[in-house]
Amino acid sequence: MSRIALLVVILLSFSTARAELLIRVTEGRVDAVPIAIVPFEGAQNAPEDVSQIVQADLHRSGQFKPLPAEDMLSRPRNESEVIYRDFRVLGVEYIITGSMKAQETGGYEVSYALFDVNRQVKLMSETYRPPVSQLRDVAHAISDRIYEQLTGIPGAFSTKILYVTHNRNDKNPYQLQYADADGHRVTTILRSKEPIMSPTWSPDGRKVAYVSFEDDGLPGIYTHDLATTNREKVSSFRGINGAPDWSPDGQKLALTLSRDGNPEIYMLDMATKQLTRLTQHYGIDTEPRWLPDGEHLVFTSSRSGGPQIYKLNINDKSVRRVSFQGAYNARPDVTPDGRYLVYVHRRNGNFNVGVQDLQRGTFNIVTRTDMDESPSVAPNGSMVIYGTQDRGTGVLEAVSIDGRVKVKLPSKEGEVREPAWSPFL
Amino acid sequence: MRSFLNPLFALMLAAALAACSSTPTEDDSSATDDMSQQTDTSPVTPVEPSTPSKPDTSSIPLTADNFYNHPSNYDGTTDSRVIYFAFDSNTVPAAAFETLRAHATYLKNNSNAKLRLEGHADERGTREYNVALSERRSKAVEKFLRVQGVSSSQLEIVSYGEEKPAAFGHSEMDWAKNRRVEINYTAGRP
Repeated sequence: MSRIALLVVILLSFSTARAELLIRVTEGRVDAVPIAIVPFEGAQNAPEDVSQIVQADLHRSGQFKPLPAEDMLSRPRNESEVIYRDFRVLGVEYIITGSMKAQETGGYEVSYALFDVNRQVKLMSETYRPPVSQLRDVAHAISDRIYEQLTGIPGAFSTKILYVTHNRNDKNPYQLQYADADGHRVTTILRSKEPIMSPTWSPDGRKVAYVSFEDDGLPGIYTHDLATTNREKVSSFRGINGAPDWSPDGQKLALTLSRDGNPEIYMLDMATKQLTRLTQHYGIDTEPRWLPDGEHLVFTSSRSGGPQIYKLNINDKSVRRVSFQGAYNARPDVTPDGRYLVYVHRRNGNFNVGVQDLQRGTFNIVTRTDMDESPSVAPNGSMVIYGTQDRGTGVLEAVSIDGRVKVKLPSKEGEVREPAWSPFL
Repeated sequence: MRSFLNPLFALMLAAALAACSSTPTEDDSSATDDMSQQTDTSPVTPVEPSTPSKPDTSSIPLTADNFYNHPSNYDGTTDSRVIYFAFDSNTVPAAAFETLRAHATYLKNNSNAKLRLEGHADERGTREYNVALSERRSKAVEKFLRVQGVSSSQLEIVSYGEEKPAAFGHSEMDWAKNRRVEINYTAGRP
């Protein structure tokens, strides 16, 4: 009996693992900081190995180069066992030690410490007591703390990625899912026979908004509370209902409607349901994104011929062109500090992600694949996740804002696309 | 009855060649071009009505470039339900005129019939921008039917962009098959 139960558990965990995104660092920085994450004491017997998760997080950031455990000359379990020389000779700059102890109450006690090899000092140490279900959360929290301690930038390992999957062999080919930023713990929010597109987070991370064609094949914009699963259809006018984006204060939704004849940008007040039209042009206006000041939007417009990026003041509705390189620039996103625009740029027939520095006026193409689309910036501004194609299938990749680090997130079944990086949760 | 197709067919080819040699444009004014007067002047030879013969299109290469106006895509009746478009274009192809006139005639004679024009784009470019582009294609077809006298209450538009491809590959030919407007009867289907 117990053997059958065990088999069932193994099968279940296997099928969960299959649906998860596997992450591979394809390009790291040459100057990535060598770091040794010593396997945590007691981690082998724990349901989740926190030291392995921390190691994968730091590696995936591209900023760190973890030393393989088999190369370690010693494996200290705590401060008193650290022999700095053993790590200095291998060029390692930082050491992380830790332990996982099963508690009688059912949870775990997780401790870790961070050491600076050159200065031979302990930089920080902490202890957490999570239930088993939160071991991965604790691991990501530790990664966040270490990343911030060593780079000065808050880590974004505890965030989530929202995305659309398409598997045409499935009864419901279109699905809306979210997962941890490392691709684990996938949750399906919505399954549909009709397309789902343009998913986006509310600024507090509690809700998402998206376009769904579930109602008789016609588009509607829905908001969806992740905790309660309450849904609300907030827009279903004649014509296009598309490209929702929440204002920084969470009170308004920018969106695209063609109810007046052609696609224009509107602003919907979530409390009063009052609709304000913001653009006035016979060309295509779509794909609005709020700037952090809550007073401006950037959007895609064909008013000069092909698609280009424009900036709109929501108070006086004045519009100014922002992108000037090339004939196709579309679907902008903005870094949290408002300094960089990230958007899709066509060059020699290829679609890539470009980064425009609004302060210095420079423009860099940071991806080298083709069909790159839907770039979404991490809440700490360090990475951009985007959709691309790998051997004809839609996959997700991430790239650092400077283009030096690339991470692949291939999925095993069907297409994955339109990633949206959550805010800090 | 059917033999006038041959001169019309020559015109289609001419239109196809003209379209090929010109730059694609967002202007959809050609959607309302009326070729019926020109074809009316063609010599007509009687043919058995019981043996409707399709024009022989085997000599015309079915390439991605001319897929949208390839005669084999349109049979000139309401059985043809897909209109194809050139890359980056929302111009209704001349090859589809007779098919669209057949739908227009049917709609005018059957006021209970309603149709949905479903616009689609190929996968190149961003998703919401492609939704907007595909709406322009549906609107061009809608305009063509309205000019033929179809009531706007019989027509509905929905724009899917690249979300519902007909062909799932990534070649030029797959893209040609995906740049389309599907004519979907929601009531009074012929």
